[in-house]
Amino acid sequence: MRKNKGDMELALEVPQPRLRAVPADAATPPVDPSEVSDADLLARVGEHDREAFEILYGRYVRPVFSLALRRLGDRGHAEDAVQEAFAAIWRSASTYRPERGAAGGWLYTVARNAIVDRLRRNGPASDSELPDLASSEAGPAEQAEDSYVSWRVHRALEELPPREREVIELAYWSGLSQSEVADYLGLPLGTVKTRTRSGLARLADQLEGETL
Amino acid sequence: MTREPNFDELIGDEATGAERERLLQAHELLLQAGPPAELPPELRRAPSMEVPRIEQRRKAKRRVLLLLAATLTVVAVFFAGYAVSGQRGTKSVSPSPAQVISLRGTHLAPRARATLEVSRAQGRNLPMRLSVVGLRKLPPHVYYDVYLVRNGRVEPWGLCGSFVVDAPRRVLTLKFNAPYGHEKGDSWVVTRPGRSSDEPGKTVLRPVAA
Repeated sequence: MRKNKGDMELALEVPQPRLRAVPADAATPPVDPSEVSDADLLARVGEHDREAFEILYGRYVRPVFSLALRRLGDRGHAEDAVQEAFAAIWRSASTYRPERGAAGGWLYTVARNAIVDRLRRNGPASDSELPDLASSEAGPAEQAEDSYVSWRVHRALEELPPREREVIELAYWSGLSQSEVADYLGLPLGTVKTRTRSGLARLADQLEGETL
Repeated sequence: MTREPNFDELIGDEATGAERERLLQAHELLLQAGPPAELPPELRRAPSMEVPRIEQRRKAKRRVLLLLAATLTVVAVFFAGYAVSGQRGTKSVSPSPAQVISLRGTHLAPRARATLEVSRAQGRNLPMRLSVVGLRKLPPHVYYDVYLVRNGRVEPWGLCGSFVVDAPRRVLTLKFNAPYGHEKGDSWVVTRPGRSSDEPGKTVLRPVAA
C-alpha cells in the first residue's frame, strides 16, 4: 500500500538549518553542526550569533510548536507563541548558566513561559481551546510532567538521522503496519525493521533516565 | 490512524534482555508523548529577529531621550534656581553660608542696614556676599570699604573690597573675597574713607551685638 504524501498528517520533512560556509582552518577540521551541544549553541546565541540561533531553532522548533499547540489548542496562537518563545531565547540566552542545569531544560522553561504568557494574554479560553487544561484526567503536576516528557521525546526525535526518524514516525503515528511502511517507502521490510530498531535504540540512549 | 504499533512486530526477536527493556521504554515514551505537531510553513525558517533588534534600538533611543530629558530638566532647574536666587536679592553665596553677620548703621549712617554672608573657606580665601541698603551716595572716587575686625580691632591689612552706592534706598548686593584664613571671633565692618586712603576710615556699619 502506498500513500500519497499529501495524505500524511505528520511532518516528515523537517527543515534543516542552512549553514554558511566557513573557511576551515587546515589544523582544525570543520565541526559538524549536529555535534555542537545545545549549551554551546546557547552561549553563541547569547552573543547574537545568527548561525547558532538557526541551528538551535532547527532542533527545537517542533518541540516548541508541539508544546504550544498542546497548551493553547489553536494553531494561530501556537505559531505566535513559537515566535515569542524564540524571541525570548534570542534575548535571554546570555543568562543561561550551564552549571545550573541542562540547556534543554532551560529552553523548555523559556518556551513554556512564553506559551503561558500567550495563554494569559488570550484571556479565559473555552474548553475546546484548552484540551490539556480542561482534561479531568490529570492534575497540573501530571500535565506538566506529560508536557516535559513530550518535549524530551520530540527533541530526541530531532536528533535521529532523517531516515530513522521517518520510519519511527510512520510506525508510531501513521497507523501503518511495518509492511505498509516498507511498501510506502519502497524499502525492503528488513530495512524498515533495522531502521526502526536502530532509531529506538538511539532514542533510548537520549532518553535514558526518563521515566514514564 | 488509531492503530497502536505492536512492539514485538517492530523489534522482532533480535533484541533480548536488558536491550529489549531499553527499547521497550523508548517505545512507551513515544506512545506517551504522542506525535509532534506538523510544522506550518511559516515556522520552517528561523525568525529574523529583526523585531527584537528594532526593539533594542527603540529602547536605546528611548534611554537616550530619557537621559536627554533628565539632563535638560536638571539644567532648567539649575538655571531657574539661579534666576530665582538672583531675583530675591541674592541671599546667599552658597546654599549654606558658614556665617551670617547682620550689620547696623552707626551714627554716621543711622538708616543703613546690611547682611554679610561668609562662605566656607576655599583654601585661604573667604568668599562673602554683602547686601546693603541705606548708605548715602559718596562723592566721585570715594568708596565704601569692607574691613576685617580681628580681636576687636579693625585690621588695616584686612581689606576685602570696596564699593560705591548710587541709590541709597535700593538693596545693593555685592560679592567680595577676604584673602586670609578665618579665625574664631573674626567679624567685618563697612567704613568710609578717612584722611588717608591706606587705612580704614570711619565705621558706618558694624555687627549687631549678639
